[in-house]
Amino acid sequence: MDRSQLQALLRDMLRARAFEEAAAQAYAEGKIAGFLHLYPGEEAVAVGVLHAAEPGDYVVSTYREHVHALVRGIPARQIMAELYGKKTGISGGMGGSMHLFDRERRFLGGYAIVGETFPIALGAGYAVAYRRLPEAVICFFGDGAVNQGTFHESLNMAALWKLPILFVCENNHYQIGTEIHRHSAIIDVYKRACAYGIPAEQVDGMEVLAVHAAAQRALERVRSGDGPQFLELTTYRFRGHSMADPGSYRPEAEVKAYEAADPIAAALHEFQLRYPGAADLAAAGNDCLQRFTDHCCQEGHLDETALARLQAEVQAEIEDARRFAEESPEPSMEEARAILARNHRLETIVEAQA
Amino acid sequence: MSEILYWQALNQALDAELAADDAVFTLGEDVGLYGGTYRVSEGLMAKYGEWRVRDTPISENSFTGLGVSAAMLGLRPVVEIMTINFALFAMDSIVNMAAKIPFMSGGQFTMPLTIRMPGGIARQLGAQHSQRLESMFMNVPGLRIAVPSTPQDAYWQLRQAIRSDDPVIVLEHELLYFSKGEVDTHASAPPLHQALIRRSGRDLTCISYSRMVPLALEAAQALHAEGVEMEVIDLRSLSPIDWATCVESVLRTHRCLIVEEDCRFAGVGAELAAELQERCFYQLDAPIQRVAGLDLPTPFNATLEAASIPRQEDILKAARALLNLPQGES
Amino acid sequence: MKQAILMPVLSDTMQTGRLTRWNKSVGDPVHKGEAIAEVETDKAILDVEAFADGFLAGPLAPVDEDIPVRQPIAYLVDNREAALAADDGTATAEKASEAAPAKTGANQAPADTTPRATQVSASQATVPTGKEDASVPVSSPPAGTQIPTSPPSPSAKRNAPTTVPTAGNLPRSAAGASPYARALAQDLGLTIEEIQPGADGQIHASEVLAAALAPRPVDLRYGPPYQISKPSALREAVARNMIAAAATPSFRISTRVDLSPLHEQGKRLRLSFTLALTRACALTVAEDPWFNGVWTPTGWVSRSRVDVGIAVDTGAGLITPVLRDAASRPLAELAEYWRILLGKVKTGRLAPEDYQGASFYVSNLGIFAEVEEFDAIVPVGASAILAVAAPASDGRTQLTLTCDHRGIFGADAARFLQRLTQRLKDPAWLQ
Repeated sequence: MDRSQLQALLRDMLRARAFEEAAAQAYAEGKIAGFLHLYPGEEAVAVGVLHAAEPGDYVVSTYREHVHALVRGIPARQIMAELYGKKTGISGGMGGSMHLFDRERRFLGGYAIVGETFPIALGAGYAVAYRRLPEAVICFFGDGAVNQGTFHESLNMAALWKLPILFVCENNHYQIGTEIHRHSAIIDVYKRACAYGIPAEQVDGMEVLAVHAAAQRALERVRSGDGPQFLELTTYRFRGHSMADPGSYRPEAEVKAYEAADPIAAALHEFQLRYPGAADLAAAGNDCLQRFTDHCCQEGHLDETALARLQAEVQAEIEDARRFAEESPEPSMEEARAILARNHRLETIVEAQA
Repeated sequence: MSEILYWQALNQALDAELAADDAVFTLGEDVGLYGGTYRVSEGLMAKYGEWRVRDTPISENSFTGLGVSAAMLGLRPVVEIMTINFALFAMDSIVNMAAKIPFMSGGQFTMPLTIRMPGGIARQLGAQHSQRLESMFMNVPGLRIAVPSTPQDAYWQLRQAIRSDDPVIVLEHELLYFSKGEVDTHASAPPLHQALIRRSGRDLTCISYSRMVPLALEAAQALHAEGVEMEVIDLRSLSPIDWATCVESVLRTHRCLIVEEDCRFAGVGAELAAELQERCFYQLDAPIQRVAGLDLPTPFNATLEAASIPRQEDILKAARALLNLPQGES
Repeated sequence: MKQAILMPVLSDTMQTGRLTRWNKSVGDPVHKGEAIAEVETDKAILDVEAFADGFLAGPLAPVDEDIPVRQPIAYLVDNREAALAADDGTATAEKASEAAPAKTGANQAPADTTPRATQVSASQATVPTGKEDASVPVSSPPAGTQIPTSPPSPSAKRNAPTTVPTAGNLPRSAAGASPYARALAQDLGLTIEEIQPGADGQIHASEVLAAALAPRPVDLRYGPPYQISKPSALREAVARNMIAAAATPSFRISTRVDLSPLHEQGKRLRLSFTLALTRACALTVAEDPWFNGVWTPTGWVSRSRVDVGIAVDTGAGLITPVLRDAASRPLAELAEYWRILLGKVKTGRLAPEDYQGASFYVSNLGIFAEVEEFDAIVPVGASAILAVAAPASDGRTQLTLTCDHRGIFGADAARFLQRLTQRLKDPAWLQ
């Protein structure tokens, strides 16, 4: 992997962290409402996997999907505006935080009902296979989703018909507040794929290069017609399930272990409503972002000046997105109705709703 | 023009659409080799291959969701859910995905998905297999529901459903599969959701759909012998509803009787009655009446089962009562 | 099985009928085709026929009240016991209390095999002692018939299952008018309170329309003192028909003709003048299809036979027996037919088929020597009516033809009079 590729990975990780940081801040200020599920801690997963994807591939995501969308290439402006519920949002203000869609970038959406990404990936895979195209479908889901019936139904059909799907489990060890030991009989999620004869691998999801390499291998097999593949990426979210969740169910020792005894991160954990700043996290050793930054510096791909410049650019981009979202207009009810009626092209007597 | 059975009309419609457009495919339990439990996909797998006529495992939620996503990618899937009762397993795919994605995506994705399902009360299938869930689906904005009552409508409404860019549920009635009727495959069909006046009448308007339409027509014939002219409207679509046709008729007859197999409580008729009284109140000469299924799980016992859904006599009684006529024999 | 006997529809205009008498009592056997009651309609008193064998059961509709057509007036049941038992179900409270004193009498006379229904109901309505119970001269009513129940005791109430409210057992809205009826009333300038409710106690559009079409009330406040009585059904029917006829656009055309040749020819043939004149008119009508037809909203009705109605003064009102096929029937047959019709008129037994549906009418006031000229009103359904006055001093009689201008024009009428006059002047054709 050359320097520019590494820098691209790092830039996206920095963008991801900065975006979520800005979103959390806007939420705390009351500018974003509803559910807001944040990604910090898991950046290596989205960045590693999606940097291995081709533009022709399809991405299916969950309700924790801002970063998937951002890394997939949807402009930060349009994502932030959607979080704000504005007309300029990627879903026109009709979707919100959990429902980002981008047809052009083959981002098939964020799904807010746990377990929905499986049948969506299944159908996309079926359509790709139906047309005999060399495209892949990347299906993200958490460890909590694997106990939903659709997981088994869809893995079965994907394997049965050899559909081009890469199943990516973001195993952050919690389904909201219930730890994996308490929700699954088998805690190594990848083993479940064996029941359907799907090749599966468990990879350290805090290590972006390892994730990237594994994803590339798996996608190659998918594209070569080997049928579905399965990756379990072990990771950890630094925050609660959503902005409404303090995450207090997690033992402090566990959080600290993941934060590698970093004093600043540990201290910040006591004040969950505040979010660790970039500088704070840079000091935390087991943070995937910090690990990768260190790695790039040690290998000589990055120096402090370049890093500072990168960070400044990222901050400027996210700040611009925030301002854009704030200044954008609200959608109207007429627009909402027009969207609902957009497909009535063959009808002649569909009445306008009063 | 030829006389064919309702299931044959559906079979021909599916065949025609598979032939006309490569993007069309059908999937469901036993639709392929077996030919469909009601023979609707008979012979199609041999003709179009397994990718276009796909047998699925018993996984309603996921294979319906498969249809949703394939539709997002531009295919035109026709999902068969073996009976409406199994659609409850697929509710998430239908309600949370098919109905919502076009809207939640800000209109970026269309949903050219057709979901066929037989429903209604057949003969002694027990409570789990004798349901009418149409009012549940009606309550979901973004879905369209076609309820063909004749082979002609079965043929054209299925074809139109497949060509629609909206998710369309085609509700087929289990007791209509072997009803016979002429199908004109060349006529230009009325729009998918336009209601049709099956019989004209001046004294009262009977609004009905699916299998209750033939029943209402028989009742109208019996009433004719009594000097009462009952207009019979076949809704053909439960979402959206062609209010214009209904309102025009009720304004003419000033009396409205709704006949539905659905349970009375919070059923299809409740919506019809509420909307029509809002639109026609000052032209109504009697309260709008409903003849509906009883509010209980369908009994297995044949006599009780028959008594739990509208019969011709129930329609006659309600019509006479609406017109303030004596009931004749008591 | 219990079958309702309905107030029959005996004419196209009949909306209500008034029972004049019951020929049978509750519990009497009834045979198919038997006249069980008499009903006074628009124009006549007619029989209510039983349409099946059985026993007459109540409640019997009251005599001398207007009852809407198709309303039950009595019931037919399979056996006598059911007939007697069924009647108590609907006995009213007043009847019961009224009959209560008579009960003893009934008990003392068990030989009376036809106890009045009211007596039975009285014994059911009062709380029976054992003794009274035993002495009630009827068997207990079979299951399924309605029995008036005394209010349930508190214990019965406690034990009764709680009723879940369903649409079926909720009370209906109180007596009122339908929204459409209210809107119609408003448009027609009527107040809803003035309108008589229909059979179900509610006011529907039909009641409003009936009220609107009814003649405006006459303001009697400033006139002489008066009293109001109900006119006979015959007079009411005539009044209704005349109002309806006023909607016909009509014109009049007259001539004067010597009718003595026709009189003489009739005498020679021992034929009444009425029949001779009717024949002349019928033949003239038959020559012009516009005179043998009527304008209707669905189109021009042309008739294939000439039926002539003749206005007859009954003393109690006007009636128009119709001579069917008056143009081509043999004269003798026509005369016999006329004799039967006149008999029916005298006994008040003219049926609707006897007095409805002529294409041409004749009204002859010739016996009133003072009447030099008059004109008549074209009845609904007819093309024209000929008014015949008394001969004037010159021996000639004024004939005035009133025509429905929708079908007949002035020249048609003139030609008609020409041909008719020819026939009257030279009645050699009458053989």
